[in-house]
Amino acid sequence: MKLITIHTLIGLLSVSFILTGCGGPPQNNPLLSQAQTEFKSAESDPVVVSKAPVALKEAEEALEQSEKIWKEKGKKELIEHYAYIAQQKSKIAKETAKLNAAQDEVGRAEGERNQVLIEARRAEAIAAEQRAQKALGEVKTVRAEAEKARQEARELANRLSEMEARQSERGMVLTLSDVLFDFDSATLKSGANKAVSELASFMQEYPKRTIQIEGFTDSVGSAEYNQNLSQRRAEALKNALMNNGVSGQRIRTIGYGKEYPVASNATEAGKQQNRRVEIIISNEDGVVKQR
Amino acid sequence: MRKLILLTVVAVVMGACASTKPPSEKLTRVKSSIQQAEQVGADDFAPLEIREARKKLDQAQELVGKKKYEEAKLMADRAMVDADLAQIKTLSEKSQKAVNELRESIRVLKQEIQNNLNK
Repeated sequence: MKLITIHTLIGLLSVSFILTGCGGPPQNNPLLSQAQTEFKSAESDPVVVSKAPVALKEAEEALEQSEKIWKEKGKKELIEHYAYIAQQKSKIAKETAKLNAAQDEVGRAEGERNQVLIEARRAEAIAAEQRAQKALGEVKTVRAEAEKARQEARELANRLSEMEARQSERGMVLTLSDVLFDFDSATLKSGANKAVSELASFMQEYPKRTIQIEGFTDSVGSAEYNQNLSQRRAEALKNALMNNGVSGQRIRTIGYGKEYPVASNATEAGKQQNRRVEIIISNEDGVVKQR
Repeated sequence: MRKLILLTVVAVVMGACASTKPPSEKLTRVKSSIQQAEQVGADDFAPLEIREARKKLDQAQELVGKKKYEEAKLMADRAMVDADLAQIKTLSEKSQKAVNELRESIRVLKQEIQNNLNK
């Protein structure tokens, strides 16, 4: 029983050996198939073909070698050796192509980067130019405003040229000399008419401004008398202006008497200078700075 | 005719001789290829491939020790393609990385320009 079994087994084994030996095409080798697939995918890529021809050729030769040995039913080790070489060479070809493409890409990207940098500078320049234009515009506006103010001041001065006008820290100050008043009198002489009408038309033109009229005398006579005289002279001018259409609300009067002399009372010429009426023109807010 | 036979004999003898000597020169070239790959950074960019190359080099040297020169030669050839692949793969990955970084820097630049213009 035992013997029969062993014999049968040996017989079966022999049959199977013979079958294998006689079998048509050799059995597929997985490593060779893998190498063929890898090579085909490399070969079908035009970039690989153009960028890595040497590695591709070496892969092809190794693959052919592997296939040849396989067809001749040669050693499995050799089939797989060349299959492996073919597979790795195919991968090398693909990586070579990728490297080439990446290097081209670096070149392109660098070009683009430079372009962007140029644009960045241009954008920065445009922004700077816009800022400069804006600043320039502001400067022009300020200058125009200053010019306008100066022009206005010049006009003001010109309009009041008949009177002695000067710029002081309190604003524009006009001085009416006492020659426009009779001696010891608060009555305006007719010679003052021109000055009064000029002042009135000025005030109509600049309705926001107010004036303060201050009267002064020399030191001859009592303080009380002089204060009274200076007050009346200031009032006289105010009345004249009101007769010319200026609202009394815009005119304030003060008599300072012999206070605040502008010259020495020791000489006749000095006394003459001290006898005066000053008109202080307010700023645009209608405010007059007080002494 | 006799000459031809003689040449064939010589060639056969020489061919036989090739596998009776250790493939020292081949192994040296494999080592230098592995070194080159290491220098460009294969351990970071192609770790599997460089590892495979080193392993096959060791195996080839073992085979030399066992005087299996023909097998050692084949193993060295395989180690060589692994080392070459490791090197080229490393270079290609690094280039790709450079491309990506450049693209990113361009994107950031463009963003900044846009921000500047919107100010």
